[in-house]
Amino acid sequence: MQLAVNIAVLASIYALICCGYVLIYRVSRVLSLAHGELMMLGAYGLYATASLFSGHPLLAVAAAGGLALAVGAAVYAALMWRMTGESVLAAVLATIALGILLRGVIVLAFGSQTQHPLRDLGWSNVSLEVGGGARISAVGLALVLGTAVVYGSLFAFLRGTRWGIRMRAAGQNPLLAAQRGIGLHGIYALAWALATFTGGMAGMLLACDAGLEGTLVTIGLKAFPAALVGGLDSLLGALVGALVVAGAEVLMIHYVDPLLSDVVPFLVLLAMLVVRPWGLFGSREELDRV
Amino acid sequence: MRSKSLIVAALAALPLCAAAQDAYVIGVSAAMTGPVAATYAPVVDAMKAYLEHINGRGGINGKPVRLVVLDDQAQPSRAAANAKQLVAQEKVLMLLNTSLSSTYAPMVAEARSAGVPLYFAGAVCPKDTFPPADPLQFCSTAFGANLDSQAALAFVKAQSREPVRIGFAAMAIPISRGEIDYAEGLSKTLGMTPVEKQITPPPTPDYTPFATKLKDANPNWMYSWAPWVSQVRTFEAMRRLGWSGRYITWAHLNAEEELARVRDGGLYVIGTNAFLEDNLPVHAEMRAIAHRANLPHPVSYLTEGFVAGFVLETALRNTPWPPTPQKALAAMNSLKVDLKGLRGGPLEWTKTNHFRTRQYYRVWRWDPAGTRVARVQDWQAIDVKQ
Repeated sequence: MQLAVNIAVLASIYALICCGYVLIYRVSRVLSLAHGELMMLGAYGLYATASLFSGHPLLAVAAAGGLALAVGAAVYAALMWRMTGESVLAAVLATIALGILLRGVIVLAFGSQTQHPLRDLGWSNVSLEVGGGARISAVGLALVLGTAVVYGSLFAFLRGTRWGIRMRAAGQNPLLAAQRGIGLHGIYALAWALATFTGGMAGMLLACDAGLEGTLVTIGLKAFPAALVGGLDSLLGALVGALVVAGAEVLMIHYVDPLLSDVVPFLVLLAMLVVRPWGLFGSREELDRV
Repeated sequence: MRSKSLIVAALAALPLCAAAQDAYVIGVSAAMTGPVAATYAPVVDAMKAYLEHINGRGGINGKPVRLVVLDDQAQPSRAAANAKQLVAQEKVLMLLNTSLSSTYAPMVAEARSAGVPLYFAGAVCPKDTFPPADPLQFCSTAFGANLDSQAALAFVKAQSREPVRIGFAAMAIPISRGEIDYAEGLSKTLGMTPVEKQITPPPTPDYTPFATKLKDANPNWMYSWAPWVSQVRTFEAMRRLGWSGRYITWAHLNAEEELARVRDGGLYVIGTNAFLEDNLPVHAEMRAIAHRANLPHPVSYLTEGFVAGFVLETALRNTPWPPTPQKALAAMNSLKVDLKGLRGGPLEWTKTNHFRTRQYYRVWRWDPAGTRVARVQDWQAIDVKQ
């Protein structure tokens, strides 16, 4: 039972991070390599709002979420919209530059010391019994529930709302979507905002669990194989990919060798690239673009 | 960007009349930014603040000390470029490394070709500083491979009335793995039963899967020697899984602050530096200097940097003017530094021992009854032999 809980928590972390990669790629065909940094920025946003709204943790969390949405939209408005019409490679390079810039800005603004936003919020990461002798931390539970809510909301948004349908249309055929009067810049900005929000949410929860420091960026990159395994243009794929990678990782730690946990995601990815290069739920035609 | 500002700050701290050739020039390559900066930047910042304080009081032997700090972001290629620049352009008297062990090789090569002493401060002491020492490499950093495990396991043995079933946790970096492998072997010779060993990759999003396996092995003691994040997160994950044993681990720069954050009487830290809780006269001096320099780190993080500052001060005081790398080397080969209580005794280097002749250990934990960090074991000395 504890193994199942461990898989669920790790899969939730990967799925929440992957969500941002997939949203941006699905809508604009841009692979954001600044996602780890945006995730970390979201976590530092929580650290800042926790100090700003001291004694009002819910307000601080809501403000941090709003900040992440705004940052995502601002990144598109300030940088990525200029990449519209440019080659995919140029856009990817722009995200790399953005990542380097953000890392520098974060060090200058917040320093290099480990921070603990959960303590600043006045909360503690208690342990909860979930049956069968298994336990989960409060932050772990928040990760699982948060991921479920995010994915549920995104599926509902993309299938049942006007803006969601527009977003899917822009992703499938931007030229046709534009000719039908859909404002592509608005759609792309929304995708960046949502991706930064979900990534920021992952960053906030990870920082609450483990403290906030520069290595958070690397965890952002570590989730990338899960997105590729599931299919880079499929939200359902991201969810399944995260579960596959997390399951392989946890089982390898428990039954084989903990040292293999670092390479397992990439072994799964390699196997997937050999058997089904476009991922479990990805579109075959997208491979050429990648 | 930060490294440039540090250089500018260092220059600005000097009296205007002090020309470059009229100062003791020390070249530092350090991880001032990047993922591991939290471990290294406080050391350099504290050392710099202390040397500025010395400069403000007339310098050493009537000459100022000029610290040229270049950021290597813990990248070997940057460390190599920094070392070349420091030797060729800055004509430094001594090279100083405060960064990851992966940056050592290029700096050692540069130090050898230039015949300049290389001092590791706040960075892991390489084996070459232990007796018989490499002629050019020196180290004052608190932790010492093998010695730390000897001290930690001796403490575990002394504390335990019941048979010890011990688990081990390391990070998947060579130095941490090597030390934990050594400790595992040592535990058997001390009559303990090693029950499980987990090596976590850096970084790990969730430590619970590793902690689950450790907890399932049911150890009554755990020992970890790794970067702080790995040590404390393994402990916290085990506690959340319901493990109730005792955990001893290395006291990194942030240990005192972290003990107060975690507030668990079963978490012990072993280290060689005094804590602010001791409230020594030198701590008041550290507070005043840190305040004047407006350092962004808690004072409890600065001990290692002040130790390095004391070492540099003593070494340079014994280096007659005009200084040369050879004169500095001669001074460092026979050095005794009064650390004012920051460690259990003076730091001594000899011609064959560039680590220290004696290492002193203390153990601390959170005292739930007194709600404060409390000393569990006072200084215990281990002689460092060949």
